[in-house]
Amino acid sequence: MALGRRKRKFTPPKLIMTSMVDIFTFLLIFLLASFSDHVARFSIDGTISLPKSATKTDFKDNTRLVVSEDKIWLGQDVVAQVKNGAVVGFDINNPQGSVLYHKLVKQREKMDQTNLDNKEKNLILFLCDKRLSFKTVNGIIKTAGMAGFPNFQFGVLKK
Amino acid sequence: MLGSRHNRKRPDEEDADIDVVPVMNVFLVIVLLLLISFSFFNLRVINTSVPVLGNSVGVSAQASDIKITVIVEIEEKGIRLSALSDEADPGTLKRLGTYFPKENTSNYALDKLSSYLRTLKTQYPKSDTAIIIPEGSIIYDTIIQTMDVARYSNDIQLFPHVVISGKVS
Repeated sequence: MALGRRKRKFTPPKLIMTSMVDIFTFLLIFLLASFSDHVARFSIDGTISLPKSATKTDFKDNTRLVVSEDKIWLGQDVVAQVKNGAVVGFDINNPQGSVLYHKLVKQREKMDQTNLDNKEKNLILFLCDKRLSFKTVNGIIKTAGMAGFPNFQFGVLKK
Repeated sequence: MLGSRHNRKRPDEEDADIDVVPVMNVFLVIVLLLLISFSFFNLRVINTSVPVLGNSVGVSAQASDIKITVIVEIEEKGIRLSALSDEADPGTLKRLGTYFPKENTSNYALDKLSSYLRTLKTQYPKSDTAIIIPEGSIIYDTIIQTMDVARYSNDIQLFPHVVISGKVS
């Protein structure tokens, strides 16, 4: 015998999407505002603190030289160690005898085989830790200049 | 009352639901794409170049036609400024030189340097090169800040071609 329980009419639950749409809109606006089609991808196993600058010039990533407080990278390869602000095995009076110089010369030869114009071939993207002294930096840029990279792009972070 | 009559729903009226699910799908795809291409730091660069020597021209050129090269020497205790030119006479160049001592133990007088460079640019508008010569102990960050000051001042172009050089002892 039926107990007389009435069957309730099933109504599907409603999701309130308004707040989620709001969040997505804000996220979208933020991401669009900070969108850059020129993304720099670096994988460096160390910490590098770049200086900040008001410059607006975009970079050209042909040859990249990265100098942190303990290592120097040419592209993805470690080419020298830095200890107490000095490049290990590097003599400022004889830069041609260093590993860095030879690697840079090899890179320059590689660049010569590309179709890039001469100005771009001898351009180097130089990313250097802001805490390093000019004594260290000078030795490295001098070596790069001697190896055929006289023009530099000093990498900085946007202010 | 008129207001209450308007608020009252007639039995045959239904709530109009806007289907936002397709919009959300589109948003989700765009957000994912943007997140993939998102750069957490904005990399910019300062171009530095090697100076090119030119032949000297015109003996009696006007000050506005003269091109000077500004030398900014960053020292431990301050910034020394001088000028080089093939066109200006040595006496004028000597008068352009000045020294800005540090404001305190850590801060260089970059504001004073900026306003002085602006004056120089007004006097010699054709000039566009600055040579930065830091001492060995000067940190890279200070060099970049000085470069910034030498290149632009409140979006006014001063000496955009910056050359970095070591001190020859």
